[in-house]
Amino acid sequence: MRPVGLYVERRSPLHALDPISKLVYAVCLALVPFVAGDLRVAFVVIVGNVVLLAIGRVLREGLIALAGVGFFLVTLFVVQGMVYPGNVTPLVRIGPLVLYLEGLAYALWLTARFVNLTLSAFVLLFTTRPADLVEELVQAGLPPRVGYVLLSVLQIIPSMAARISVIQDAQRSRGMETEGPVWVRVRALLPVLGPLVISSLVAMQERALALEVRGFGAPGPRTSYRLPWRHRLAWPARLAAVSALLLALIWRLAR
Amino acid sequence: MATGTQSGASIWTTRWTTLTLVLFPVGIAINFVGKYVAQALKLPLWLDSIGTVLAAFIAGPLVGALTGAINNIIYGLTVDPVSFWYFITSVGIGLVAGVMARLGFIRSTARAIIAGVVVALVATVVSFPINIYLWGGQTGNVWGDALFTALTLRGVPLWLASFLDELVVDLLDKVLTVLIAFGLFKALPRRLLSQFELGEGELRRTA
Repeated sequence: MRPVGLYVERRSPLHALDPISKLVYAVCLALVPFVAGDLRVAFVVIVGNVVLLAIGRVLREGLIALAGVGFFLVTLFVVQGMVYPGNVTPLVRIGPLVLYLEGLAYALWLTARFVNLTLSAFVLLFTTRPADLVEELVQAGLPPRVGYVLLSVLQIIPSMAARISVIQDAQRSRGMETEGPVWVRVRALLPVLGPLVISSLVAMQERALALEVRGFGAPGPRTSYRLPWRHRLAWPARLAAVSALLLALIWRLAR
Repeated sequence: MATGTQSGASIWTTRWTTLTLVLFPVGIAINFVGKYVAQALKLPLWLDSIGTVLAAFIAGPLVGALTGAINNIIYGLTVDPVSFWYFITSVGIGLVAGVMARLGFIRSTARAIIAGVVVALVATVVSFPINIYLWGGQTGNVWGDALFTALTLRGVPLWLASFLDELVVDLLDKVLTVLIAFGLFKALPRRLLSQFELGEGELRRTA
């Protein structure tokens, strides 16, 4: 099990940009096709995202990650091609199945929206350490308690993953069947989850005590160990992202 | 922060302590592990809400709902941006699981199965409009989508086919999820659970 997240450690102009600007970018640009409601706009934004991923030197990783949902996208074309309610023009005939033009066009639109959403998010996810993003959000006003919850998820998951393999090894060494038909695999699930979850919840009590001892519940403002992340292009980037979203809205209304 | 024992505890009452706060990340991590195990074992299920349901069983519907919400936020921010769209589904699962627990549906396995069915129905009702908007009604699960295609080709309306597409997967997934969470909940030490209990009335209902 890999560490949580898609972050790739590299040096690039995108890695240097502050996390909040990239978050603003990802949210705005992911929404542009939804707001604009136009396939051409979606393609323009997709190309823009590909260029940005290339600038961030993570294009290869991004496309590999996107290929993971390739199968689902193929089923989207096949199923929508057959069953889309607006289907009238038959295009391809494969045995008893007919794919219609309207359904395929609709699938293309859904796919473009999804690919753009994913690539926009990748611009943030591949170039930003999740911990940096949460730290910045806390400095920007996110309650520290929420920040703690988000950050500790990122820390707990790898430690739990390490514990899974220890438990599974222990169970396998005692002769437990963990491979075979579906029902054997389902049965192998509970014995892992039990010890894992219960020990994690018991450890949780100790964590709560440790936090209390360090003044976690104390009132008053918090100070930060780190300086805020400054970048000279931060505000231009945020403004550009928001105006892209506004342009999409104008595009929608003007048509 | 601790509110202490309350005599007028309702279904929604929650004890907000540091312990409650550290329950969120553990619940989310359990969700993650469930999802990982389901994928590793190539099960045709999601099993990605065991932690949300367990948190709801332990600390009530509001904690369940928040665990679900934070789960999808963190998942969207790290791995899969699409999970933001299903934010509401996770909130619904946590909320309903907590309400069912407080209404006494985790006293026996039979009742837990009923709770699982209710959770599945709520998850389906919340998810299928999102599926229609995002994917023209599909879920991405091979079994469900095969059913969806077969139904739509026989003239079943899209919304109904999409609802059933989600339901076939969710029914099995959520009943199993609730049963696993129920089993885990039963195995938890009383010493841990007592710190989340609200008062005498509540103690009798969930124990």
